Amino acid sequence: MAAVLTPKDFATATPSWWCPGCGDYGVLSALKAALADLGMQPKDVAFISGIGCSGKISGYLHSYAFHGVHGRALPVATAVKLANRDLTVIAAGGDGDGYAIGAGHFLHAVRRNPNITYIVMDNQTYGLTKGQSSPTSQTGYVTGTSPQGNPDAPINGLAVALAAGASFLARGFSAHPKQVVELTKAAIKHEGFSIVEVMSPCVTYNKINTYAWFKENIYYVNEAPDYDPGDRSHAFDVLSREGKIPLGIIYQDSRATLESLSHLGTTPLAQLDIVSRSPAYAAMQEAYR
Amino acid sequence: MVVNDIEIMFGGQAGDGSLTTGDLIAGVFKRMGLEVYTYKDFPSRIRGGHTNYVIRASEHPNWGMADFVDCLVAFDLEAVEAHLDELRPGGFIIFDNSSEPIPDGVRRSDVTWYEVPLAKIAKSDLGLELVRNTISLGVLSALIGMDRSIVRELVSNAYKRKSEKVLDQNLRAIEAGEQYVERHFAEWPSGYALRAGADGDRLIMMGNDAIGYGALVAGCRFMAGYPITPATDVLEWMAKHVPRFGGIAVQAEDELSAINMVLGAAFTGVRAMTATSGPGQALMTEAIGLAGVLEIPVVVIECARTGPSTGMPTKTEQSNLNHLIFSGHGEIPRVVLAPGTVEDSFYLTVDAFNLAEKYQCPVFVLSEQALCQSKATLPSLDLSRTSVERGKLQTEPVVFGEYKRFAFTADGVSPRVIPGVEGGMHLAAGSEHNDAGVITESALNRRRMMDKRMGKMESMRDDLPKPIIHGDPQAEIAIFGYGSNRGPIGEALERLWQAGIAARFFEFRTLWPFPEAEVRAFVEGAVHVFVVENNYTGQLERLIRYVVGPLEHMHLVNKYDGRPFRPIEIIDPIEKYALLRVPMEVRR
Repeated sequence: MAAVLTPKDFATATPSWWCPGCGDYGVLSALKAALADLGMQPKDVAFISGIGCSGKISGYLHSYAFHGVHGRALPVATAVKLANRDLTVIAAGGDGDGYAIGAGHFLHAVRRNPNITYIVMDNQTYGLTKGQSSPTSQTGYVTGTSPQGNPDAPINGLAVALAAGASFLARGFSAHPKQVVELTKAAIKHEGFSIVEVMSPCVTYNKINTYAWFKENIYYVNEAPDYDPGDRSHAFDVLSREGKIPLGIIYQDSRATLESLSHLGTTPLAQLDIVSRSPAYAAMQEAYR
Repeated sequence: MVVNDIEIMFGGQAGDGSLTTGDLIAGVFKRMGLEVYTYKDFPSRIRGGHTNYVIRASEHPNWGMADFVDCLVAFDLEAVEAHLDELRPGGFIIFDNSSEPIPDGVRRSDVTWYEVPLAKIAKSDLGLELVRNTISLGVLSALIGMDRSIVRELVSNAYKRKSEKVLDQNLRAIEAGEQYVERHFAEWPSGYALRAGADGDRLIMMGNDAIGYGALVAGCRFMAGYPITPATDVLEWMAKHVPRFGGIAVQAEDELSAINMVLGAAFTGVRAMTATSGPGQALMTEAIGLAGVLEIPVVVIECARTGPSTGMPTKTEQSNLNHLIFSGHGEIPRVVLAPGTVEDSFYLTVDAFNLAEKYQCPVFVLSEQALCQSKATLPSLDLSRTSVERGKLQTEPVVFGEYKRFAFTADGVSPRVIPGVEGGMHLAAGSEHNDAGVITESALNRRRMMDKRMGKMESMRDDLPKPIIHGDPQAEIAIFGYGSNRGPIGEALERLWQAGIAARFFEFRTLWPFPEAEVRAFVEGAVHVFVVENNYTGQLERLIRYVVGPLEHMHLVNKYDGRPFRPIEIIDPIEKYALLRVPMEVRR
């Protein structure tokens, strides 16, 4: 019986290099707490991240961590899960990683519905390259690459995911750690592709979408007693409404996962016997006589 | 009378069923004990457009196309006009004159014309125009002396899955074709004959089949790919067969995803691969660099086609060699293997997986359209020659803190744990990292890590597939080549020998790390060196020149029209430069 772990057991010795006050600290703390609460063991967690400030998170979680190329965390994570269903697979990245360079993979991960969790750390800017506009930056956001104001409309990642057939959508705010822990736990427990978008303010470059701004501009969908996360049109409605940003579990349903539809056995592929010379190999030659 | 040496070109419109009939002809030749090579010359579309299927039969294993087409089976005038000049003097044409006659200006007098109203017979006598292909097989069979019972057996096998009626129509079509020849052309022999031998313990398969089969036997249980000509067959082959062995083949949303999936799967310890062609290869470049720095074993099958950009998707070329060897930002250890035959496509694919895992780096298997989509006869594959060598895979628990995923070792290869192994938790980062996987920009660590990773290129040397030296190793004429050119070079060698001219031929099987010592040794004593390759710039020739220095009599024999070499295109320059002493043209 493996020991019961605490969030500290998921910490690495590597110091984190985010700016003091960065929203990403809240995401990392919540993830550690969620994993400990769920009784996970570091050896059974595969944590895949992309590139950017957010991508650095994989270096700070004691697990089998994979810090790949920009925008491609989801294909890696999907394959890790297909290859080894025993692992708890979590991918993480920022708004740029997930909704710009990796947007194509985002849509396809949603429609495939592998049983993995995707944490999008949304700071509405490109932090690591010193504050350019991102796909979630507000129109008019002034940056080095958009000195006259960002001309593009921000993408609504969760609404896009819902349209593509997402089976679990949640949004949190990194200054609300308790809620982010609960959302993360619910996401990991969800059988299917679960998205947790966490509003994670950039204290250095984004002077518009600050902690104070968020506090004025967010609400939890379950504040309304009749909110039903199983109601897809209701979810569309709150996601597309102008005004305050909805948080909480916005949508959840159950549909078959990629693994179950792929006719795969449950044995991790790495444990299949490939060393023995199967008699079935030779038999296959008969088709070519 | 030409015996047991014939090249048939089956030409018509794409989608008219000529593929099935071409396969039948190849099958009959094989069953009659001949060696077969096929080449598909299709347009990049599904229906319409001129298409042809070349079937070469001879008594020589691993030969490719012949100098000329011996027999053109033409279903329309377009096929005649497009290929008449490729016909050997003394050859013959089977022409379907149902809808149009041969205009006088088109006729060549040095070939025999067999004009048969194939479509008319098909429609009026057999009630199905589609069987005109099968009638032409009957005509061909009678003209060159195919074994009639083998023809019937293979036609039955091909059509028995369809209805009883369709099978009957096709069997009657064979009969109709044979009878037409007996009635109308009894006085006009074709000049070609077949003498049946034993089929023996042989197979006939496409290069891409051999690659898929090799991957499966090597233990590949995860494939991700994106459809692209001419590599799609590998994904389809794996999708059909790997699930039975517990594995999976995934069609990704693009090549970026495919290669990243392969990395993810390989990270968990399963043997994983992708297959692509030039455009997809270009997209995969960044992630292949990641595989190099993460020291993850991945196998990438590259089925080369004519580039750049879309190029000619269904045509052959060897212009991706530079890309496989040099592409990417930064430097990584990598291996490029290149089979020259369908048979070697199988064995080198098995080798690729073992090398990838032993040296924890990307390994490419480089094929090309004229090999990967070509069928050829080969001896039964010897599975006892295959084995699975897993290198330093570590599946037992390790002590966290002591275990270092990127530990410095003498051969540069570190013990590799996979997720789930107790104590092995680490970060696999594309950022430069230390032996424990921790990201660092230390200058000292950077040097040591580069030395470790790149050092694998040297420690793997003895493990790499060796070149094959063909012909007379002392001959003054030396030839370098690889891939599908093995066929025409092999034939050139044999025919030069018959003409009293000795030559040696270095067939590369490993192209990277470049076999420098072997190349240097091979050119010892050579007076004329020829490098044969399908590209404009002489990518292989430059690599050789880089190793051996400028040689006075080094000739690039290249072709870049999307078609494979015919042996005469290799024999001619050898005679011109080496025997007639024509001064070499210097292009650069």
